[in-house]
Amino acid sequence: MLKKALFWFVTVIVLLTVIGPLLWIYITAFKSSGDIFTTELKKLVVFTPTLDNFKRMFTDYPFWFNLGNTAIVSVVSTIFVMLVSLPAAYSFARWNTGGGHLLFITISTRMFPGVVAAIPFFIMFRTFGLLDTHAGIILLYIYFNTSFATFLLYGFFRDVPEELEQAAMVDGYGRMEVFRKVVFPLILPGLAVTTVFCLIWSWNEFFYAFLFTRLTARTVTVLISSFWGSIEVQYGPMAAGAAVAILPTLIAAWFMQRYVIRGLTFGAVKG
Amino acid sequence: MGPDTAVRKPSIWEILTSEKYFKWTLLIPLFALLLVFMLYPLFYCLYYSFCQWGMQGKAIFVGLHNYRELLNDTAFMEALARTFEVLAICIVAELLIGLGLALLWNREFRGQNVVRGLALLPLLVAPLVLSLLWNFMLEYDFGAVNQILTAIGLGKVYWWSPNLALYTICFITIWQWFPFSVFVLIAGLRSLPRDVFEAARVDGASNWYTFRRLTLPMLSPLIMIIVVLRAMWLIRLFDPLYGTTRGGVRTELLDWRVYRTAFVYFDIGYGSSMAIFSLFLTIAVCAVMYRELMKALGVIR
Repeated sequence: MLKKALFWFVTVIVLLTVIGPLLWIYITAFKSSGDIFTTELKKLVVFTPTLDNFKRMFTDYPFWFNLGNTAIVSVVSTIFVMLVSLPAAYSFARWNTGGGHLLFITISTRMFPGVVAAIPFFIMFRTFGLLDTHAGIILLYIYFNTSFATFLLYGFFRDVPEELEQAAMVDGYGRMEVFRKVVFPLILPGLAVTTVFCLIWSWNEFFYAFLFTRLTARTVTVLISSFWGSIEVQYGPMAAGAAVAILPTLIAAWFMQRYVIRGLTFGAVKG
Repeated sequence: MGPDTAVRKPSIWEILTSEKYFKWTLLIPLFALLLVFMLYPLFYCLYYSFCQWGMQGKAIFVGLHNYRELLNDTAFMEALARTFEVLAICIVAELLIGLGLALLWNREFRGQNVVRGLALLPLLVAPLVLSLLWNFMLEYDFGAVNQILTAIGLGKVYWWSPNLALYTICFITIWQWFPFSVFVLIAGLRSLPRDVFEAARVDGASNWYTFRRLTLPMLSPLIMIIVVLRAMWLIRLFDPLYGTTRGGVRTELLDWRVYRTAFVYFDIGYGSSMAIFSLFLTIAVCAVMYRELMKALGVIR
């Protein structure tokens, strides 16, 4: 009994620590600036909700436009990442192509400090007029996500039993058919997890978006960051923007919870 | 030879999907991408690191000048030391919290999906947004944290003071990333063979003994994964700095220093040499652990 009480005590404390701050975004988003900057303790939670922050966010700033940019950039880059990662991961997992070293090289792109790539790309993009364009930032996100997507998918492919493929080959299937009709259906859950990961990472990315976009391709994280100025900080619109922008990731997190454990272990264990 | 001759020359498609070449065909897109996105930036970054260049005019080759300067650059070395400090604090804390919660939650209990679902949330929200949020909550006068501290009789804390700011940033990072360790370790615990533990219990082994001699060694590949990945990501820590101190009050870390040199002062050459230094550091730190990781995954033996 005591053990059970202790279990729930710790669990509730942890959950409060996790959800409290996230909830705070939504509470702040509905506060007037007077209620945000007050030091009156009860106003932390007792206040008259207002939609002013959202109104300002949507009318004074190109919020929807920037959110649209984020969506376009995330979706397009993820599609390309999958087209490259899926076959590569299959090759690594099924034939151990390159004896593990090629896989290592692939993953090591993720070890690059972001700035190593940022400097040459910045100069290249300036030359080719790709700064502040969708194409430019999409290219960067493809670079940013491919290695990790390959690594994740590699883990899932390793779980596909080789015997199944051999049986299909005996039945007269060609390589392409084996992949399409036998391997691909088995890999679908893994593919889904990896896709959602790539979408979320692009959605959340800040460093490249901050350096490479200004107006036409500005993503929503950069817009939100712009409210934290050196002179004044606009907490209200910042919270309203964040509240809307993080909603898709929160929903995705909720639904993915079951599969994410599997994805996070990279096939090192059978989950 | 045309398509109607007796011995038909195999089409390119047939060659590409043949048993011998198929595994390489699958890698063509990746190779193309690596060539453009890895070799190109690496080559140019390396080249710029030997040059003096401010984005205007021509790059002047100066040999090892930048690297020599780097070794005497106290600001850079301080940023380097701080990065290691953050690395150590965050990885140790995340592993301890992760291990504790994984052991706690690795059982069937009512509402387990709700608990795990909620615990996952910080991991998937943009780090920049979370750092702005914490910056707001830790504000000295009207921040929620200080108000609560005052209410329960403790004094206000100036979270962004020069002595504390770096640890505040560590706290934010740990808060966001501890679920990663939790979930990886829960998955690990679930995969452990049951019979070994039952045998241990029959032999009368204590809980602590079982944990230390059975659970921990069997979890070590996953602990390795966590350490490698977190080290890689933490060396590049940027968003929490932008959202809070912007590198001020003694919180400048490696990537922030490079960013400022290259993109604020436009000292491309010097910035590049820092970036290359940081790259080799990452590889050095990770390569050793990486071998272990690959061994754990069974890729190399």
